[in-house]
Amino acid sequence: MTFSLSQNLIQSSLPISQGAEAKVYKAQLTSGSPPILLKYRFQKKYRHPTLDANLTRSRIAGEARALLKCLRSGVNVPGIRMVDATEGILGIQWIEGQSVRKLLPGGAEDDGADNVDSPDVEDSDPLTEYGVSVDEVMNLIGNEIAKMHRVDVIHGDLTTSNMMLRHPKSFVPFNPNVTTELVLIDFGLSYQSTLTEDKAVDLYVLERAFSSTHPDSEPMFAKVLIAYAETIGKDWVAIKNRLDDVRLRGRKRSMVG
Amino acid sequence: MLFYPVSNPAKIKQRIIDAAKSKAHEADEEREAVNFSFIDASLITSRLHLETAINQAILAESQGSLRTKTVHSEILFALNPTNNITEAIRRYGVSDTTKALCVVQIMNSSATTASISDVEIKMKKVVNGSIVSFDELAKLTDWNTVEKYHKLGNEVKEKRDAQRARAFIDNVAVSSVAMKSVMQ
Repeated sequence: MTFSLSQNLIQSSLPISQGAEAKVYKAQLTSGSPPILLKYRFQKKYRHPTLDANLTRSRIAGEARALLKCLRSGVNVPGIRMVDATEGILGIQWIEGQSVRKLLPGGAEDDGADNVDSPDVEDSDPLTEYGVSVDEVMNLIGNEIAKMHRVDVIHGDLTTSNMMLRHPKSFVPFNPNVTTELVLIDFGLSYQSTLTEDKAVDLYVLERAFSSTHPDSEPMFAKVLIAYAETIGKDWVAIKNRLDDVRLRGRKRSMVG
Repeated sequence: MLFYPVSNPAKIKQRIIDAAKSKAHEADEEREAVNFSFIDASLITSRLHLETAINQAILAESQGSLRTKTVHSEILFALNPTNNITEAIRRYGVSDTTKALCVVQIMNSSATTASISDVEIKMKKVVNGSIVSFDELAKLTDWNTVEKYHKLGNEVKEKRDAQRARAFIDNVAVSSVAMKSVMQ
């Protein structure tokens, strides 16, 4: 193949960051259309090409399906804008805002180059810009995760980096008292499950992420759980008991050896 | 190109069917005359919705993975939330009761302004109607039917105001078009 439409698109877009699995770009499909975010699962040279194509294809498909399922059920996630499973490209709605990790105390550390557009104002709370308090953010987090678990989608990688707050300037609220919205992102490790175990582990992963990135996070995470319990309803007792079990033994159910 | 109102939908449909049926070479000219994608504008929720369908259709053509016979019918196929081609054409294509039509032709990117105005003349020969701005699209959308086709009845009821419900339907519609190629 001498040229490919998707490769051209990537050439013309702005690289944002790169991880082990994918590179992320900001792009535009047509001039005048809103920007989109491209997640490009590039070819892994260390895998057999056939296996690589298969894995990439099924991961893109899985991520897109999880996103659509969340969208249909009213969970705040970015909308899908293009899918090219052959090349390994997923295009989603661009969300103007900031990850929750950077907005909470302790999260903004050691992120060198990423911080260019937000000059650090010492000791000012970045959340004031978004018009919400830490408690309100915890409330939003608990709500959104519960909405997602209600439709049996397990995120698989819940961290404060994988949640964003929409910037008030780009957010068109239907209710004037609401200044922002919490959006869950990165469904690359997500799957579907009705099991209490999987939902509890999802919460446990988030708890660990909280305690390792944000100092004194216990009261914060407790508020997440209160909001979660309210939204999820009657399944809460079972999930809570299982979460206590998971805390004792860790993420993996069977530990042999 | 958005046409509204359109007065000859039945005739357009008949011409497309006739052109497709006749095998002989003399029909080539007639086939070329209706070589567009005719899309019922009342089922398009936004400009982005249509653009996404066109984009995915072009992508499929460039990779040789068209699931219908032409790139123009692929647009209709991409718009329909199920994998049934007949249903896609019946729902999203031109029908006897169509009042507003989006007419699309996919061209090479080297096409000049002159050839684009040629296309416009050719479109006007086929469609009896006036061309209106794409901003009119919002007034033409039949939200209830879109909601039905995407099976969003229960979800929409939870949204209290119409504006919020529409933003929601549009987002789901655009997303399902975009992920059509990896649908189960």
